[in-house]
Amino acid sequence: MSESPTPETGFTISFSVTGRDVQCAPGNTVLEAAELAGLKLPFSCREGMCATCKSKLVSGQVDMQHKGGIRPKEIAAGKILLCCSRPLSDLVVER
Amino acid sequence: MTDSTPKLPGLLARRTRGMTLEAPFYTDPAIHHADLDLIFARHWIFVGVEPEIAEPGDVMSVDIGNHAVLVARDDDMELRAFHNVCRHRGARLIEARHDSVGNIVCPYHQWTYGLDGALRHAGCMPRDFQAERHGLRHVHVRSLEGLIFVCLAEEAPDDFEDMARIVGPYIAPHGITRCKVAHTEDIVEPGNWKLTMENNRECYHCSAAHPELTRSIFAEGFGFAPVGAAAEAQAARFQAMIGDLHARCQLRGIPSGEIEHLADRITGFRTERLPLEDAGESETLDTRVACKKLLGDLSETRLGALSFWTQPNSWHHFMSDHIVTFAVFPLTPETALLRTTWLVHQDAVEGVDYDLSNLTAVWHATNAQDSALVGKAADGVRTSGYRPGPYSADTEGLVEKFCAWYIDRMQAGLAG
Repeated sequence: MSESPTPETGFTISFSVTGRDVQCAPGNTVLEAAELAGLKLPFSCREGMCATCKSKLVSGQVDMQHKGGIRPKEIAAGKILLCCSRPLSDLVVER
Repeated sequence: MTDSTPKLPGLLARRTRGMTLEAPFYTDPAIHHADLDLIFARHWIFVGVEPEIAEPGDVMSVDIGNHAVLVARDDDMELRAFHNVCRHRGARLIEARHDSVGNIVCPYHQWTYGLDGALRHAGCMPRDFQAERHGLRHVHVRSLEGLIFVCLAEEAPDDFEDMARIVGPYIAPHGITRCKVAHTEDIVEPGNWKLTMENNRECYHCSAAHPELTRSIFAEGFGFAPVGAAAEAQAARFQAMIGDLHARCQLRGIPSGEIEHLADRITGFRTERLPLEDAGESETLDTRVACKKLLGDLSETRLGALSFWTQPNSWHHFMSDHIVTFAVFPLTPETALLRTTWLVHQDAVEGVDYDLSNLTAVWHATNAQDSALVGKAADGVRTSGYRPGPYSADTEGLVEKFCAWYIDRMQAGLAG
């Protein structure tokens, strides 16, 4: 049995719509991890302003450093911006 | 206009006071566009109420003819208004009537604007691209105790502040910003926007057309002052009720006397607190409050109805328990949008404190009746047989003031 994932080893992100699982290396955003795995997700600004990448986080925790592209009530409703969110656990993302 | 029809300056110049406008004012596409440019882009236009955009990031879109406006509440709770069009390729930014956003993002290529209108992100543009020159175009916006007005002109008429200073104390006790929207109704009026406004500015038609509305209101409060013994007896009863209402309001520090500047100001308006029949509480079928939670800090139900009108496009009724606002927006030369909004206290619960059908019954019925009347007028004025007719000096003086204001402002617009 492998060790449980940590920020040092990276996390697994499962995209529930496409059915793809990708590994997210330490320090990478969810969007970067998806791109490195060849997944095409919508994005534009890459810095948390335009919300083009806004998605539902089905499970897991992230560290999101946005620049006003998402409202507190959206975050409370489980939405994240993939471009500025780094996993703190394994994730399931509705994409 | 056909070649034989005088052009706009000639039609404005030859308008006879006390008479309805000539047909082209209600039908002609060129005059419709002139109305949008000279009236709707140069005056303060009522567009909605603050509870529609109560929280930071809330936005509303309003179309005023060919002018598309978005009004947003920023993170400092201030109102901001912009042209609702992207500075990139002109796409419409906010599609919905109401939305909640982080930033304002164009759905086409994701150009992203802050709620201050500054362009914050435009992907794939050259290194020397000047984002600061591509911010959203500002539109003037003001709130009169929660009633939102915009002005599309470079320089907005500065007499708005006068109106706000005068009318503010009348409206403030009703606490619009502590209200919620209980219901909204949009009607496409089958006539030019001016027919809708003219119809609103008289109650000559009320007795025959509005059985629900006249359960509570007196036509005398809306410029209706016919002569004759029976009419004068009714007028005397009305005056006694006004005297009683205004005296009671004075004791409570609530201003109520008539102030009328419909035709002698750029930002024309009229206000007065008017008594209601029987229980005297609200414009409902039984004249009693429709909502148990009273507005603002009011503790008295029997405050009649505060009437507030603005040129060119709004009227409002403020009661102790609810508010009804009306905004008119031109659509085509022969159609207009009438938007009616019912407001109750933000803590009022539907089904507990108020019944929605009871709350909206009177004005829902009255709007439909008025819309049909506007259609009748439109059906007539577009025919070859139409000639301008005389307003009743005793009952249609405020319609005349609307027309006088309109003619004056059109002439001022053409001159300037």
